[in-house]
Amino acid sequence: MLEVQNAKKYFGGVKAVDNVSIQVKKSSITGLIGANGAGKTTLFNMISGFIPLTAGTVIYEGEDITNQPAYKISTKGIVRTFQTPLGFPRMTVMENMLVFAKNRNAGIFTAIKTSKKVTPLEEEYIERARKILKDVGLGNKEDAWVSDLSAGELKILEFARPLMADPHIFLLDEPAAGINPANLNSLVTLIKDLRNKGYTFLIVDHNLKFIMNICDYIYVMADGKLIFEGLPDEVANADCVIESYIGKKKTEDTVSN
Amino acid sequence: MLTGTALFLSSILTLAAIYAVIALALNLEAGVDGLWDLGVVSFVAVGAYTYTMLTVSPASAGQSYIMGFGLPMWVGVLAAGIAGSIVAFLIGKPTLKLKNEYFLITTFAFAEVIRQILTNERWLSNGVAGVYNLAQPFKTYFTPSVYPYILLLLLVIIVFIVYVVVHRLTYSTFGRSLKALRENEPLALTAGIRPDRFHIRAFVIAGFFAGTAGAFYVWYSTVITPSLFTSDITFFVWMAIVIGGLANNKGAIVGSVIFVLAGESLRFLDLGSGFAVRMASMKIAILGLILIAILKWRPQGILPEKKVKFSNSSKNS
Amino acid sequence: MESIVYGIVTASIILLGSVGFSMTLNAENFINIAHGQMLLLCAYITLFLNAYMSIVPAAIIGILVTGVFGVLFYKVFYRPIKKRGAMVLLFTSVGLAYVINGVVGTIFGTTTFAYKIPNVKEIIPGMTPYQLLIIIAAICSTLFLHYFLTKTKIGKAIRAVSENSDLAKTRGIDTKRTSNYVWFIASSLAGLSGVFLGVIGSIHLEMGWNQILIILAATVLGGLGSIYGVMAASVVIGLSMELGVLMIPSYYRLAIAFAIIIIVLLIKPDGLQSLWNKSGKRVA
Repeated sequence: MLEVQNAKKYFGGVKAVDNVSIQVKKSSITGLIGANGAGKTTLFNMISGFIPLTAGTVIYEGEDITNQPAYKISTKGIVRTFQTPLGFPRMTVMENMLVFAKNRNAGIFTAIKTSKKVTPLEEEYIERARKILKDVGLGNKEDAWVSDLSAGELKILEFARPLMADPHIFLLDEPAAGINPANLNSLVTLIKDLRNKGYTFLIVDHNLKFIMNICDYIYVMADGKLIFEGLPDEVANADCVIESYIGKKKTEDTVSN
Repeated sequence: MLTGTALFLSSILTLAAIYAVIALALNLEAGVDGLWDLGVVSFVAVGAYTYTMLTVSPASAGQSYIMGFGLPMWVGVLAAGIAGSIVAFLIGKPTLKLKNEYFLITTFAFAEVIRQILTNERWLSNGVAGVYNLAQPFKTYFTPSVYPYILLLLLVIIVFIVYVVVHRLTYSTFGRSLKALRENEPLALTAGIRPDRFHIRAFVIAGFFAGTAGAFYVWYSTVITPSLFTSDITFFVWMAIVIGGLANNKGAIVGSVIFVLAGESLRFLDLGSGFAVRMASMKIAILGLILIAILKWRPQGILPEKKVKFSNSSKNS
Repeated sequence: MESIVYGIVTASIILLGSVGFSMTLNAENFINIAHGQMLLLCAYITLFLNAYMSIVPAAIIGILVTGVFGVLFYKVFYRPIKKRGAMVLLFTSVGLAYVINGVVGTIFGTTTFAYKIPNVKEIIPGMTPYQLLIIIAAICSTLFLHYFLTKTKIGKAIRAVSENSDLAKTRGIDTKRTSNYVWFIASSLAGLSGVFLGVIGSIHLEMGWNQILIILAATVLGGLGSIYGVMAASVVIGLSMELGVLMIPSYYRLAIAFAIIIIVLLIKPDGLQSLWNKSGKRVA
């Protein structure tokens, strides 16, 4: 479904991403792990169109989307989240949802002519947003400022928003960062639920337990290079992975998983 | 005495109404969209000059300016708006891609350059001498003593129209996308919103209304000189929307009225004739203090940005 | 030749004003519109003192007083609202600019003034000892600032805070103290620039506004907040303004400065610094 071929990104002389190829299969949850500075987020930014590739190609559903602008890529059904989910702080939860609805190209002159506060089309989107919010457990928050939400609620809103636009694949940048264990479980359930509904995921995270627990297939990066790929069990037992990324302390964690 | 005060008050309110039109325009681009435009006076100046040059009679002896077609006023107003939009497009196209700070400085710079051109190119605008005795709308139908109220009424109607248009835009999908860009541009990108396209639309619409405000300003002052269009106007309008409440359209109007009243009411202080020249300085010092105080104690302004609620409008399902 | 001298003198005055502006931009991350009024403030304080003493002691006292005012303004107006972000700070500085300008105007009126300074002969055509002094003072200030920022402990701390204030805090740098230094130095340099403007020209209420526009131009051209970039940009703008008037009418001096930045921004959106500072890109 999504394929990155020989992606390279050089910042000056630094090879942030060096010849990385990955594949994300439809309805899978694919993980990408690596230490800080391994180049995971850079790879993410290149796929989602936030920074240009130095070399290489990104192919989505057979179409070459390399270096297309971010706003264009997102309309193809590829959505990404950010490490720190801020949302649109001074807008309500409902407004946050509606921003992601697909009707934003309604013209300026139409807007000037329309005296109704809510158009029938928007009515539909509002209903849809309510349903999504209810499903993810934010049903009672639609009129709250996003800046008043808790960190956990923000994380959940981060998933809820793009659902408005019928995405096909989610790119999640450290979804488990800064989340307490209780919320983490509901996050795992949410992701697995969505996967069962046919959505695809590519997840970058530090939390090894979380990644091992949730992913079907895992890529491991270090210093901009891909050093290993395989099923969760294989990754857990690969020497090079343990050496380069997990270190001594976390080994027990992994084994107990 | 009473009629004197009433006349004075209506004159102040007319000025406030003109500020309100510019403030509503600025509020759309700066409050709803987050553009730091320090050059909004460019649109006002270009609009005012376009209006004047199209509606006056040809330059007489000793004057010099282009055009002078003697066109009807409504054509002039429309052209003023269009000229404002064009200037906005020309300024916005190259600069809206830049960082906020660069945009701020470039818009500020453009406004100064435009004023200098109007000051120094005599063939274009009759230079510092300006153009005097400009006509006012519907003036011939009324006696001079009631005309100021008619002008005020006309401007109140105009403010209302502009308010309705800007209000609808603010709460439309378009306005929501602008707000999204203001709040979090990277996230807005992932929603498929194209920043440059939305910014330039907001900027051009603001240019249109600020341009028409230039024409209204000419109605009010009946003269036009480049010195009317210093960056003070930009800052004053910014102050008005900050005082009234950024991104709140009623706030833009309230802020304009309060701002103009606060400034002009100082005229009532009688501090002796020698002090008259310094009054202007004292006025801006006090306005500056008001701005600082509002930002410190009420940074959301008098009327903070409204929460958009949908729960009442469609509860029936 | 005269134009070149004028150009260098103008450049020196712009440089003194812009360097301070960049320091506060770096340290506090906002555009301080009131910086232009610090030039005005110092010019008028010196004017007031000049009635009782000769220009040199008057200017020295004026500059020190302006520096103190800078620190005071920071403590009273900016620091308490620092957390509210660049927009609120920016407009607070607009408010403060109007307050300073208004108070000075209320006291001194709208008359144009000049300092009482002895008449002197030109050393070479187009250059009086005053102009020489201005150039020397600008060079000395630049060298002093360079030494201060790179060699002294407090200077290094200021640079650390500019680059990453959170990190600096965790490393135990007292950011309050560095801020005081930044505002004192920035305001004094602005003051010096203001006095020089008065010496070569006149003292009037518009000087602060005119100068902040040129300072903004130099800052953009130098690449926001790069102190060395701004120094180079001041020279470019000063020279081109004065040499430009050979070809274009003199009332377009300011327009020349802006034309330059508009062109530069369109070609190199990061300002002049990107020409030599490639590392700027690596961070992105």
